[in-house]
Amino acid sequence: MATTDDGQFLKKVSGRNTRGLLRVIILCLIAGAAVSSRLFSVIRFESIIHEFDPWFNFRATKYLVQNGFYSFWDWFDDRTWHPLGRVTGGTLYPGLMVTSGIIYHLLRFLALPVDIRNICVLLAPGFSGLTALATYLLTSEMVTSPSAGLLAAAFMGITPGYISRSVAGSYDNEAIAIFLLVFTFYLWIKAVKLGSMFWGALTALFYGYMVSAWGGYVFITNLLPLHAFVLICMGRYSPRLYVSYCSWYALGTLASMQIPFVGFLPIRSSEHMSALGVFGLLQLVGFVEWVRTQLPNKQFQTLLRALVLVVFVVALGALVLLTFSGVIAPWTGRFYSLWDTGYAKIHIPIIASVSEHQPTAWPAFFFDLNMMIWLFPAGVYMCFKTLTDEQVFIVIYAVLASYFAGVMVRLMLTLTPIVCVAAAMAFSQILDTYLDTKTPKADAKTNESPADSAKVAAAAVLPDSLRSTRTPYIGIYSYASKITVIGASAIYLLLFVLHCTWVTSNAYSSPSVVLASRLPDGSQHIIDDYREAYYWLRQNTPENAKIMSWWDYGYQIGGMADRPTLVDNNTWNNTHIATVGKAMSSREEVSYPIMRQHEVDYVLVVFGGLLRYSGDDINKFLWMVRIAEGIWPEEVKERDFFTPRGEYRVDDQATPTMRNSLMYKMSYYNYNSLFPAGQAEDRVRGAKLPAEGPQLSTVEEAFTSENWIIRIYKVKDLDNFGRDHQSAVAFDHGHKKKRASKKKGPRVLRVE
Amino acid sequence: MRSIPLLLSCVAAVSQLCSAELNLSHPLLSKQVLPSTFKPPQVFKNANLVRTTNLDKEYVRETVNVIIENIDSKPQSEYYLPFESEVISRVGGFEVKDKKSPEKGSFKVEVVEFDSRSPTEFYLIHLPTPLAPKSQLTLSISYSILAAATPVPAQIAQTDKQYLQYTFSAFTPSAYLTQKQKTKVKFPSADVPDYTTLPADTNAEGKVDPQKQGSTFTYGPYNDIPAGVTELVSARYEFTKPLTRASLLERDIEVSHWGGNLATEERYWLSNRGASLKNHFSRSEWQRQQYMNPPTSALKALPFPLHAGVLNPYFTDDIGNVSTSRFRSTPREAHLEIKPRYPVFGGWKYSFRVGWDADLKNYLRKLSAGSGDSYVLKVPFLEGPRIPEGIEYERVTVRIVLPEGAVNVKYSTPVPLIGAETGLHKTFMDTLGRTTLTLHALNVVDEWRERELIITYDYPWTAGLRKPVVLTLGLFAVFVTAWVVGSLDTSIKAKKAA
Repeated sequence: MATTDDGQFLKKVSGRNTRGLLRVIILCLIAGAAVSSRLFSVIRFESIIHEFDPWFNFRATKYLVQNGFYSFWDWFDDRTWHPLGRVTGGTLYPGLMVTSGIIYHLLRFLALPVDIRNICVLLAPGFSGLTALATYLLTSEMVTSPSAGLLAAAFMGITPGYISRSVAGSYDNEAIAIFLLVFTFYLWIKAVKLGSMFWGALTALFYGYMVSAWGGYVFITNLLPLHAFVLICMGRYSPRLYVSYCSWYALGTLASMQIPFVGFLPIRSSEHMSALGVFGLLQLVGFVEWVRTQLPNKQFQTLLRALVLVVFVVALGALVLLTFSGVIAPWTGRFYSLWDTGYAKIHIPIIASVSEHQPTAWPAFFFDLNMMIWLFPAGVYMCFKTLTDEQVFIVIYAVLASYFAGVMVRLMLTLTPIVCVAAAMAFSQILDTYLDTKTPKADAKTNESPADSAKVAAAAVLPDSLRSTRTPYIGIYSYASKITVIGASAIYLLLFVLHCTWVTSNAYSSPSVVLASRLPDGSQHIIDDYREAYYWLRQNTPENAKIMSWWDYGYQIGGMADRPTLVDNNTWNNTHIATVGKAMSSREEVSYPIMRQHEVDYVLVVFGGLLRYSGDDINKFLWMVRIAEGIWPEEVKERDFFTPRGEYRVDDQATPTMRNSLMYKMSYYNYNSLFPAGQAEDRVRGAKLPAEGPQLSTVEEAFTSENWIIRIYKVKDLDNFGRDHQSAVAFDHGHKKKRASKKKGPRVLRVE
Repeated sequence: MRSIPLLLSCVAAVSQLCSAELNLSHPLLSKQVLPSTFKPPQVFKNANLVRTTNLDKEYVRETVNVIIENIDSKPQSEYYLPFESEVISRVGGFEVKDKKSPEKGSFKVEVVEFDSRSPTEFYLIHLPTPLAPKSQLTLSISYSILAAATPVPAQIAQTDKQYLQYTFSAFTPSAYLTQKQKTKVKFPSADVPDYTTLPADTNAEGKVDPQKQGSTFTYGPYNDIPAGVTELVSARYEFTKPLTRASLLERDIEVSHWGGNLATEERYWLSNRGASLKNHFSRSEWQRQQYMNPPTSALKALPFPLHAGVLNPYFTDDIGNVSTSRFRSTPREAHLEIKPRYPVFGGWKYSFRVGWDADLKNYLRKLSAGSGDSYVLKVPFLEGPRIPEGIEYERVTVRIVLPEGAVNVKYSTPVPLIGAETGLHKTFMDTLGRTTLTLHALNVVDEWRERELIITYDYPWTAGLRKPVVLTLGLFAVFVTAWVVGSLDTSIKAKKAA
């Protein structure tokens, strides 16, 4: 992709145009700024993979690099979802891993031994530079002003809405997908403009790449047909549209079907039906257009009416029939939640439990997009004014993406490019109007009388009245107004940069695997409990020890501890996750058989009570309960975890179900001993804990990290004497404490 | 240098056919292979022998000072020292000097191989000058035995004291008659709850055996112990310190003439041989304990004393940077103190890597003699952490990466090696690959830090220009290709227009 971009620039430079050269330099600087603003976490912490999903991608990339492409394609991973395993090769989007793999082998070929980890960490920043270039190209297609493209590139480079998913270390599909999204759109616009099969095929090529990289490709799959459909409805059908759409659809669909995870979805699932429908519609419209040239007008009218009716009935009937017969897959749950934000909460707790699937809060828009959020409508409005084919695209994209971004936090990412483009168009319009020093001034002095100029100056304050007056020339004459507006714009731009840098540095640059805090002397203190515990697992447990934890940590355990897990962030099997949820939320007597059946060796819980770390398992506990309740409504009940007054408590008011659950016991086991008697406190929930800590009988503490964030328990083997663990522990305690045995002993005798 | 199983099995097979010709069948080996019936010729006797066993460190250091006397009629130069075959594979750093004139340097020693079924194997000491009949010589033999003392009990609680048990022979094993001998055992403390007492009648002075003096026990003296007689005794002593063992240490030293840099990277596979935890690890107990900082069998920190002027140290493991390290550098010394991610208790493992840069000037000199392109490099064979209780290394692999095009590589080191090879290592846009020298050693202990490794090599100045020239040509080729490809006209339209 980089080479095609370069080709564009080279052509421009070859014209020995200083502006062209300047533009290349500016774009390179923008790309540089985009890359460097994403390096906060590398500089502050280290070159490390962030968060959760990237750890899986990293692990998969390592597998690809070590075992080659074909075994990656056929990869069956028996170290996750124990004992089921996962057909990983067929259930992932391989684009990201393959991209890093190619870069890795290319560098190896050049005898540059760059660690695969560093490639993965820096892939997202690298591609963000390319995204800035792609945004420049896309915007340049929309407007004639060259500054709009450069502004859009700069906006795209540093806007937090995109940085949130592309900081160094955030090795996720979105890292390359946003570049592919924008670049595919650019190619599409180019294809529609030129009506060229070549550009249509290029669109299909990058669409195929996009399909291999991210599930969000469906957005393109629906947006391009919608664009074509709207153009047809507006009566703007043209052979250009026909050629570009058909070449894209035919080649793109074939390309997308090469990805095993996608397979036959493009012709079977509902999400892809619109593209197929528009493809059919285009054939019809093309046919009708041809017939129109052949037939007299009246006969044509009758024919058209009949044709439209027949086609509509047949197509709808076929769609309904195929959907009911199961050939076309019905809508997936994640898709429903796009239309009804409450859907997931009721039906699929596992989707609702992911924070990035929540509806977006309003402040988030300003947080992620800053001033662009109010420039954006202005840019869309400007597109409305001229409304060429490509500007229709902007309008549709803007409307759709705004809706989706409001529904799901995560989809803010698809909104960001169009906001940048539209905002840049609006902003460059302001700059072009007000930065123009020469012409209006010269014209005003030569052409206009002083009285007229005063009129115009007055009109500049009230621009609406200006249009009604029939002055032959419109322009800004007063330096004062120019300086005011330009100054204000400059300040806005500066504030934008400050805001972006601040947001990036404070909100999006934490690896979340490593936490930072400040010591009293101001120096940085790294809290590295996750890796401490994961490394302990990696070094000191058997190679095949199965680790049970909540699914959030599955990928990290696989990546850092290199141990098999029961569930992970892939969440493909709700029942399996519910099983883990049940084991965590039930009493030990219930959990132990579940853990034995799943050959669990160690249980890992995250506990933030000591360090005020709020993302811990007790705070996520209700989701475990809800998901388990979804499968076993009789055995796990969410209500039992709330006090009669409806409070979720962990102190001595906590319900017996809560206090007997395995999760509660593992979190607070032995925690009392850190405090003076009766003073134990859970700092994250601000609760005073019961004086007597929980007792464990079926698991035993194996490791606790330095700040108690990770606690690992070993599941006990069956008792040697065939007792159940409760009585074995009671016996051991009785052996130590004479008083307890005395109490129990006589009571048994009397009964007998 | 010592038992290679493959070799042994070959030897065993061959020895069944014809044991007499064994030495001839492996003419290239530096070691001698002896039949199982071999007994060293009784040409010496030990007039007086004092053995000092030092148990301060986690490995056992033994020093044997012995006055040997030639009782044969001819001058003799080969002195045998027997070890049990199970022990000899763990003996490291074997050095023999003349006690009277240690400045003469150490004698040549080698392991003589036996048939694998034999319980005894020998170190063969070559005296530099044959000892005349009836004359005497004082040898100072020192070596260390790795993994010799084992924790008893093998499982202890987190705060318990750790006890080690060391079993050895009260009579120093010898291939010759020993007229007078005694063994001094130095324990790390006076806390020695169990030890074997020998009946007073074996003792030459008829005293209680052993004699205690603070933390030093003395077995003996014994008179006229014949060759090969042993008397096993064992002692259990307190040692609440980690038994740190590196199963493998890989050490890379990379010389860069262009950068003027000496980059060192060390990769450790550590484990603690100490007593494992009876119950599991309890963090709350550990944290409460930390205020008092009592002795513990867990490995908490590893200080690396480095040479002055060391720069850019790093400490990482398989999953990234470990933030618990401190580096202090002054013009006189540099000190890197690293802490493992978790305290390494008995039976636990921890592997990691550390690395640093240093100015090449302090290690490399250009030789004025010769062709003018010869260099001599002096680096420590082993650096690594220094802790009071010591560290043992089962295997050490040192790899010196010389610049691309270095030839005529020679090395010398006092550390006994088991193998050395040169090869090529391709990295950072090399065309040929850099010359590497790889050295292997077994059973090294941290006392051998700072033993030097001296390497000489030739590096013609033309070799230094290889990379810039290749890079320039490569870039030039890319530009030319781009220009050619760019000027090709492949469009259909343009042809029509033309």
